[in-house]
Amino acid sequence: MELRKMPSKKPVKFLTLLLTSLLIATASAAVYYSLTMTSTISVATPSVYFVKGADNVTAGVSLSADNRSAQLTQLKAYPNVTTTYEDPIRVRNNHTLSSFNIRLRHVSLSGAATNFIFVNFTLMGTSERKLVYTSNGTAWTLPSSPTSWILIPNITAWSIKVETKAKAGATADTVTIGITVDVA
Amino acid sequence: MLPEFFALLGIDVFLTLSLLSCLLDDRLPKAIPYLYQVAALVGYGHLLISREFLVIFGEYMRFWYCFIYLLVALSNVVAVNVYFAVAKGLWSLAKVWSGAVTFPTILICMFFVSSYSFVQEATLPLITLQIGLVISAIVMGISICLLLSPETMRNAFRRERR
Repeated sequence: MELRKMPSKKPVKFLTLLLTSLLIATASAAVYYSLTMTSTISVATPSVYFVKGADNVTAGVSLSADNRSAQLTQLKAYPNVTTTYEDPIRVRNNHTLSSFNIRLRHVSLSGAATNFIFVNFTLMGTSERKLVYTSNGTAWTLPSSPTSWILIPNITAWSIKVETKAKAGATADTVTIGITVDVA
Repeated sequence: MLPEFFALLGIDVFLTLSLLSCLLDDRLPKAIPYLYQVAALVGYGHLLISREFLVIFGEYMRFWYCFIYLLVALSNVVAVNVYFAVAKGLWSLAKVWSGAVTFPTILICMFFVSSYSFVQEATLPLITLQIGLVISAIVMGISICLLLSPETMRNAFRRERR
């Protein structure tokens, strides 16, 4: 074979470099693409939580360590009298910028209905949101649906008012009601 | 935009340099194209390491080591330009290189660095970057005008023949 007929070195060299360049560029772009899909998830503290209200002692409010759940153990229902706890507990939006939608939702109820007339929970926002539990003496009527959403502005606390009423002549009975505050 | 984008940009600069130096291999040392390929491969390894230690390295650190890699790539572009102009005395080629490779590359890199700095609240001084961006754009514009004027091209070809 004559040397003149052999392909020139330069195009072969260039082609080789071009191919390796394409390979490296594609591989690098693939790594970068996989990087863009990497997510870093960190634990965040909730912006909306419970705080004690002015009537917390009367209502026997105890909060969990992270303020995400509360128990009201000293609520009373007096016979034939509506008892109102105006400010036992509050829902606070502690975010400096954002507003959040919140609502009240029924979770659970246990206890006899015999001696009660009603137990109401009212979120005292810019407009009220109410969960109503009524008793006909034999069974409880539960809230059919959660309350509608309401926007709680940043750095704002709204109280949850509790109203109770027992049947005339009632002497003893207890009911345990679980409700939740949904945040969206 | 992730900080690793600058490493990706640096890899592409090295690969472009490798191909261009292959085309100009009669004016540059023979090993140069392969060296730039190795440098691009180093950048690829750099990206892989960055991906594996994404959580350990903070964004600040990631930005700086990727940016330094890009700076090394850019300094190589400038070094080739200087080599043509000073060591080889190829002024016309150096001018073409600066207008067609050096300043466009600097312009593209500055554009991305300044947009990254703008989003990430000034990792680098934004004014300096914007001034650099404008200067690069002006030089590139002038270079294009000069290079594409028929008279300049004719003169360049004549000089090359001589």
